[in-house]
Amino acid sequence: MSYLSTKDFLADKDFVDRWQYTLRSGELDLSWMRAATEQVECKPQNARRGLTFRDLDVPGYGYSTMPELARANRSFAPRGAEIPEGCPDLQAEVNRKSEVWAYNVESYYEEAMSRQWNATTDVPWAELVKAELPDDIARAYSQLLTFLTEVEMIATDVPAKWMGRLNADFFEVKNFIATQVMDEARHAEVFRKRALTTGYGLMKASPQNELNLKFLRDADSFSEASTTLHLQAEGMILTLFRFSEYISPTEGDKKLFRLVMQDEARHVGYGMQHLKWVLDHFPEKREIIHKHLDEAENFVFGGAYAVEVMEPFIILSGKGMKKAQIEQGCKITAAFQVKQVEEYFERLEKCGLPERKERSQLYKALELGQAQLAAMGVRTH
Amino acid sequence: MSVTFPSGAFFQALAAAMAGAHDRFRGLGFFDATIGIRVLLDDDGGAERLFVLVFEVFECTRAEEVPDFTRLHVDFVLEGKTSVWREMFENIRRNGGADVAHSINTLTHFGEQLTLRYDDPDGHDKLYRFAESVQQFFDLAATLDGVTYEGAARLAAPAA
Repeated sequence: MSYLSTKDFLADKDFVDRWQYTLRSGELDLSWMRAATEQVECKPQNARRGLTFRDLDVPGYGYSTMPELARANRSFAPRGAEIPEGCPDLQAEVNRKSEVWAYNVESYYEEAMSRQWNATTDVPWAELVKAELPDDIARAYSQLLTFLTEVEMIATDVPAKWMGRLNADFFEVKNFIATQVMDEARHAEVFRKRALTTGYGLMKASPQNELNLKFLRDADSFSEASTTLHLQAEGMILTLFRFSEYISPTEGDKKLFRLVMQDEARHVGYGMQHLKWVLDHFPEKREIIHKHLDEAENFVFGGAYAVEVMEPFIILSGKGMKKAQIEQGCKITAAFQVKQVEEYFERLEKCGLPERKERSQLYKALELGQAQLAAMGVRTH
Repeated sequence: MSVTFPSGAFFQALAAAMAGAHDRFRGLGFFDATIGIRVLLDDDGGAERLFVLVFEVFECTRAEEVPDFTRLHVDFVLEGKTSVWREMFENIRRNGGADVAHSINTLTHFGEQLTLRYDDPDGHDKLYRFAESVQQFFDLAATLDGVTYEGAARLAAPAA
């Protein structure tokens, strides 16, 4: 037990007498009925959508008028409630709105809640377990699924790690990242289930990618964690999910990848809107984010091109291991890798970080990749 | 009653089918996106027809032919030759839904068949945020009574 009450209530005669007196006499204190809070009327602006967080953005409770520094609330008190003396100081680590906020975060939350799905019942498992895949395809697919399960477990841990560290006033963000925790847990579940239904089970973990995942987990601030998790890593995984849908061997697998890509794209959307918010409201963070991305991109280059990740892509996209299939797989995989990095820089530019290209080693790798594609005669756009 | 592709009536028929499948789309969740459709006519050098599809909450609230996309704030545009669209819809009608080679993501992935155009990466990502809803919307072509294609004989195949 690391935290103890300052009082043993059952041994406190005054406390016990007061409790018993109230029940015996019916004399109520009722001071809570005079809470110094706003009385408001909130109703759905769009009945088809239901009552959303945006409908609750009213004086006294809303997020639009929330100050940049959350000084007043250091407890679990919900934003807008009266905070009486005696509420504990929870010592939240993040108390600055621009460290966590994102444009439209409330609508990302509502979208997340309405688009939840169930890995047990929404994927056509009966059809998938009957699908017979050639040995080399099945092994490559199981290796890809092993990698994805590994990645999704850390994607669950990172937002979960930050949830309890945010000031309670950042309610909408906490709720959004709670949905992300559920999404990522479901992704780890669905990839594990699919790996164990291929007949081959899980294959080999990826040491280089685990180093990258550790880097993601151990970011110094929420904004750095978000930029590398939501925008960089999930942006690249989103491209990978689309690629995986493209090369999926069955219609059931395609559906599986469409379902996970929906969640991933929503997380990327939050990451983009958060980075924009940070750059607009906390410009001093720009250089810190660049420094963090310098190392993040180094890890990405090492991890994404590890053999246990890249080779299954080549076999799956070439649809086999014959020489011509491997050649075709190399072309498709090279085009995918270029697309993945191009989209990452597109997103950074849109967020207000266009200068990233100038200082990025990964951008130099992208230029090398584009030149290689041209030499292979592959059209990218 | 059969509808002709490409036409506003064709996309309105899909929108009506979506309204008829309300519970299914409600189960998929909020779907808020504005999608442009550009159909490049195979035989008519440079000619094209444009359509806009507006999705709000669980419905398609607007499906019509437009002269251009200016001021429509489309999130992304799906562009392709009539023959590619036709192959996709025929495949959907044969199978009751797109097979592995004809899903929207597969057709657009490397831009070889359908091309995905966008100005804003946020708008681009909406195709993926709503991927299953987009796919199931196009899969509703399987439920239409009949589809004819401009400049081609009516297909005999009934809805799956």
